[in-house]
Formats: sequence, structure tokens, C-alpha cells
Amino acid sequence: MRLLMTTAALATFASWTVPALAQQTSASGAKSQGAEPSLSEQLDAAAGKAVPSSGAPPAAAPEGASRGFFQSLNPDISVIVTGAAGYSQRAPLLPSGDDPDLKGSLTERSAGITLQELELGFQSIVDPYFRADVFLTIPNLSALEIEEAFLTTTSLPAIQIKAGIFRSAFGRQNGMHLHVQDFVQRPLINAAYLGFDGLRPPGVQVSWLLPLPFFVQLIGEAFSVSPPETSTAPGTFQPLPSFGGGSRTDLTYTGALKFFVPPSESISILGGLNFATGLSPGLTSGDTISHRGARTLLYGADFYFKYKPPNQAVTYFSLAWTTEYFLRTIGSTATENGLTDGGLYTQLVMQFARRWFLGLRQDLLGIPSSDVQPRISRTTLDLTFYPSEFSKLRASAGYEVPDSQAARIKELSLPHVNSFMAYLQFEVAIGAHGAHKF
Amino acid sequence: MKRISALMVISFAVVAPRASAEDRLNVVTTIETLADLSRRVGGDKVTVQSLSHGYQDPHYVEAKPSLAVALNRADVLVRVGLDLEIGWLPILVTECRNGRVQPGQIGDIDTSTFIEVLDIPTTQVTRAMGDIHPRGNPHFWIPPVNAVRIAKGIMERFQQLRPADKEYFQAQFDKFLADLKSRAPQWDAEAKPLAGLKVVTYHKSWTYVSKWLKLQEVGYVEIKPGIPSSPDHLLRLISLMKAEKVSALLMEDYYNRSIAEEVASRTGAKLVPMPSDVGARTEIKTYFDLVDAALRNLSGVIH
Repeated sequence: MRLLMTTAALATFASWTVPALAQQTSASGAKSQGAEPSLSEQLDAAAGKAVPSSGAPPAAAPEGASRGFFQSLNPDISVIVTGAAGYSQRAPLLPSGDDPDLKGSLTERSAGITLQELELGFQSIVDPYFRADVFLTIPNLSALEIEEAFLTTTSLPAIQIKAGIFRSAFGRQNGMHLHVQDFVQRPLINAAYLGFDGLRPPGVQVSWLLPLPFFVQLIGEAFSVSPPETSTAPGTFQPLPSFGGGSRTDLTYTGALKFFVPPSESISILGGLNFATGLSPGLTSGDTISHRGARTLLYGADFYFKYKPPNQAVTYFSLAWTTEYFLRTIGSTATENGLTDGGLYTQLVMQFARRWFLGLRQDLLGIPSSDVQPRISRTTLDLTFYPSEFSKLRASAGYEVPDSQAARIKELSLPHVNSFMAYLQFEVAIGAHGAHKF
Repeated sequence: MKRISALMVISFAVVAPRASAEDRLNVVTTIETLADLSRRVGGDKVTVQSLSHGYQDPHYVEAKPSLAVALNRADVLVRVGLDLEIGWLPILVTECRNGRVQPGQIGDIDTSTFIEVLDIPTTQVTRAMGDIHPRGNPHFWIPPVNAVRIAKGIMERFQQLRPADKEYFQAQFDKFLADLKSRAPQWDAEAKPLAGLKVVTYHKSWTYVSKWLKLQEVGYVEIKPGIPSSPDHLLRLISLMKAEKVSALLMEDYYNRSIAEEVASRTGAKLVPMPSDVGARTEIKTYFDLVDAALRNLSGVIH
């Protein structure tokens, strides 16, 4: 029985890939009793007009009813599996939650294989007024987390409201899931200023598309940020968290302005100015917590330039340059002075063949540097091959150089101050996964 | 008084052009052929803009935010459907904050519902078959019979949206039909010698044209839809084309020419660059130009 079904399936598939001869003969056979209607008569029939000529009555245009799709009101379900194998001389100083975790420490080499992330996506239109998107994630074989779960209004004029748990519109990389990033690891500014998992707490967003002939969007958000878990293992480098301090009534607010300009068909420029404010939960070191409850002001600017000719016959070549800069001020508290620090990344990704991309990124933290955020530089080179739109293979090599004279680096007494790291990443996507933003 | 007249001038300047612009249906289409058909049916009661250009692969259009701005103002979205635009249109429709063109609304026209869909898979679809369209082949807009069905569907929706202009849209459609019928005898004459012509196509996007012109599709340059060919597959294809004496290799302008040229030169088949949409080349400005060019290029094989 099974064999029979397989054979039948094979036969059908063969008849579908090789010529559609059978279909054609039967189609022309149906009209064999009379002369075939001329194109003009067929056009009349398609328009629903009476056909003067004799012969079989022409088939009316089917109105979809005859097609009988398998109807399912289930949401689109997708699973994205990202595996990674890697080696590093020591663990990265500022890993993000969805970076590959080789379970190493800052004092030893590590090599291993991990499931960098498993993402489950459920996406659907709710009704004529809302759509809903839910993304669950298991990063690095840890617990199941809600990466995002939000509803979006679709029918309010000019304004759109998003509510639930979602990635903040602050900057460019924060809004991206792992599988749309161009590198194996997230930029350092993510963990340094937005947190281990980026900024994706429960909140509400209102965005307004300005009534202009080009794209300008104003976004305002309010979030309830939970303080990060303070189980700071000794011998790890902890960033000073920007948000999540104070009481439960102290919300974190963000504002963003995004604009898009296409100077030509091949060139796109997307830019953003971002602002966020909240209270810092403070930095725990030993028994003391510094900067607890201090007001954080985080400013960001991001710039994305893309060159991609729309006509692939000319070339598949494309070039995308992204730069994002964060500047943070932490206000003074009763016992401590305020401080100012910042950081950036700039990356160039070149598509040099239909399925090949080469990317170079420079991360630079500590511009300016502060007592809590020393200078850290990381240079990363990534090569990506897409066998199809649904799978990808990526090789990455990076070199991390912290400021060896900074007090916070010295106290870690690293055997390798500078660290080399290399990863091989493999990713597949199954199921129906929605299209991504530009 | 001066003040009043100044005010009147201002309000007139602001309101008047707006009012006339609002009289017209703002139509946004995903491809240029649908834009041309919408213009023919809508006449001067519509303004029409296409999100993609004819020389682009309609599977891969970048979801630029500027396209969301265009959709934000649309009264009507005319799209191909059958998941052709799945890689870029849904995100734009969500981002555009325009309730009128959301899926299933009266302003959302899925033209695939007007035609007879071919290549509907009859077995379980998996991605092992490549980037296959599970609901059928979406490259259906070139045969004139389909153009009539699409134009009729668009007309009926325009009539629902603007009942006052019902007669006007009907007259516009009748004019389009008459124009097509005046060309039909010539197209019939050009099509006749093409019947039975054995062809290989780059992507499986010529099914509807092949059915109309009775071309025999023998094989495809892509291993599977959307999957680039391998040397292995090309060798098999070349020997198949020699055995079947295939005379033409049809290819859209936006695919890699070098592979197709290689296959054609090794088999003696003629490489026929085929425009697949209005705007594929600068001289193809209308649906009529598109059909003329397709027939002319194919006729070049037998002459």
C-alpha cells in the first residue's frame, strides 16, 4: 500500500516536472467535436458575453469555489533551528542571550557544539482589526522563553498600536531576531546597554506614520522592565544595566524617529534617532551595589545604507552598510557621581554572488569609556552561504581586544586578554514564517 | 474682507485639489501588468501606481518602507496572489496602517481568484520540491483570456467601490475588450505556427502561455522552482533537449543569462529572452506591447 502511494506520488510529481502533456491533450480533446474557438470568441466567453459561434459552450471563468483549498484557521507556524559549533580562547566578555554559548569561562579555552537557538513562531491575522505574532525561543538549550508575543492594530488611520512583549524599536539591531542578523554574534552594544536579551520587556508602543510623501515614523513606547537576575557569578564581566531599577511604578520610556530615503532605485537609506530613559538597577560587585536607582538617559543613532540594483540580470551584487552608536549618561546618586559612556558597531555586508555574502564588522565599546565600561574592541569576519531561502551556513572569525589597563579588566586577571573566537553556524527554517522588515 | 478672501484662497488651495484627488480611486498594484489593466478599466477615475517594476523578479522585491507609504494612501491593492508576493507584500500591508487594503477587505483584490489556476500540486507539497507555490502557478497574466478575466474582476470591484461610476467602468472594460478583439485575429495568426513547438523554460513560469500557444514544455533550467541548476542537472537537461530536438529556451530577462546561453549553445536551441511583465523593457509600455513582444520573440524561433 505504502509502495503504491509512493509510486503514485512519484508519478504525479514526474508528470508535474516533465511536460504537462497529459493536461494539454485532454484540454484540446474536450473541444474536438467542433473547430476550436478563435481567440476573439474565447475573449468574449471570458468576459461573460454570448458567443455567436457553435460548438461546446465555453467554460465560464471559475470563481475560486471549484478549487477547494484545504482551509485551516490555524496560525502560520514556523520553527527555526540555529546550531553552532565554535572555539574561543576565552569566553566573550559581553555575550548576548542568543550568541552561541560554549559554556566556557573567561579563564579557559572552550570548544563545543550548541543549539544556539530554537525559535517557534505563530503568526496570524486575528480579525479585521488586529494581527498577532508569538515567538518562543530556547536559546542555548536553556529554558523556553517568550521572545515576543504581541498584537498589532491594522486598521487605525495613520497610527499603529503594538501591545504585549516585543522588541523595542530602539535602534536597528534590537528589533531583529537572531536569524535575520548578518553575523553569528550580536553587536556588543546590545548586551552592554540594552541587556543580555536586548530590550524586549512587556510594554505598549504607539507609532505614527507622518503624512509626508516619504517615510517618516515617530514611535513612542512604555515598558515594564524587570531587573536582571543578579546572580553574578564571580569571574565574569557584568555590564551596568541601563533599565529595570526603581519600583514597579518606574517605567522605561523610549522614543524613536525613523526615516527612509531612496535617492535612486538601487540605493536605500534608512536612519533612526532613538532615546530611552529609565532607572538603573545598579551594578552588583561583591556585596555592594553601585548606581542603584540612578536615572539612565540612552541616546542612539542608527544608519543603514544599501546598494542593490533591482534588476538581478544586471548583477546580484549588493552592499549594505550599517552603523549604530549609543551614548549613555547615568545620573548621580546620593553617594556616587554620574558617568557617561557609549559604544558603536559598524558593519559592511557584501553579496558577491547569488547565494554568498561576506561581512566585516567592527565593534567598539567605551567611546567614551567610563569606570564601568572600559574600551573593548572586536573585529568579526563572517562568510554566509544560503543553499536556499530556508537554510544557511555561516563561518565566523572574531578577535576581541579589551583595554588591558582598565581597572575592570585588570580585576578579571584574564590569561588571554585578547581572545580569538571562531564559529560555524547552521540554520534551517521550516513552516510558514512571515516576511521581514527592510 | 481682505482677510476673508485670503482665508478663502488658502482653504480653496488646500481643499480643492484634495477633493478632486479623492474622487479618483487610488490604486496600488504589485506588478506593472496589473497597473496597466487597472488603468484601462479605471480610466481617468483612478490613479495607479505599481510597487514593483517589470524588470524585477516579482518573487524578490525589497519591502522598502517607501512602498508602505504608497500603500498607506491606497484605496485598492491589486495583487497577483497565489503567494507570488509572499516574501515582501504581507509585511508592507501590516506596516501601511491602512484598513482598506487588509486581506479580505473590499479594497484588496486578489486577481488569482478570477482565473483558472494551473499547476496546483496534487500531492503533499514539501520544500524538497523547491520554492514551490502550494496553491498553484502564479505566472498567469500574459494570455489574453486571463487578461480579460482579471480586467473584469477589477472592473466589478471598482464598481462596488464607486457605484456612481458603474457605467463608466463598464464602458472602459468594453473598450478594452474591443481593443483586444481587434488584435485577436493577428495574435491567432502568430500563434498558429507555434503550436507543438518544443521548449525548455528557465523557471516554471510559462505554463499559462504554453497552454495558450500549445507549446510543449520539455524541461526547466532550474532543478526545482527557485533552486539554481547544478552541473549534473544541466548535463541531463542538455541530453534531453538534444533527444527531444527542443528548439527554444525561454527565459525571463531577470535570470542569469550565462547559464542559459551555455545550455542553448550546446543544444542548438535558440535562447529566447521573454518579457514577463509590462516594463520588462522600456519599449513594453502596455499589456498589448507585452503580448506583441512575447509572440514576436517566439515567432523568431521558427522563422
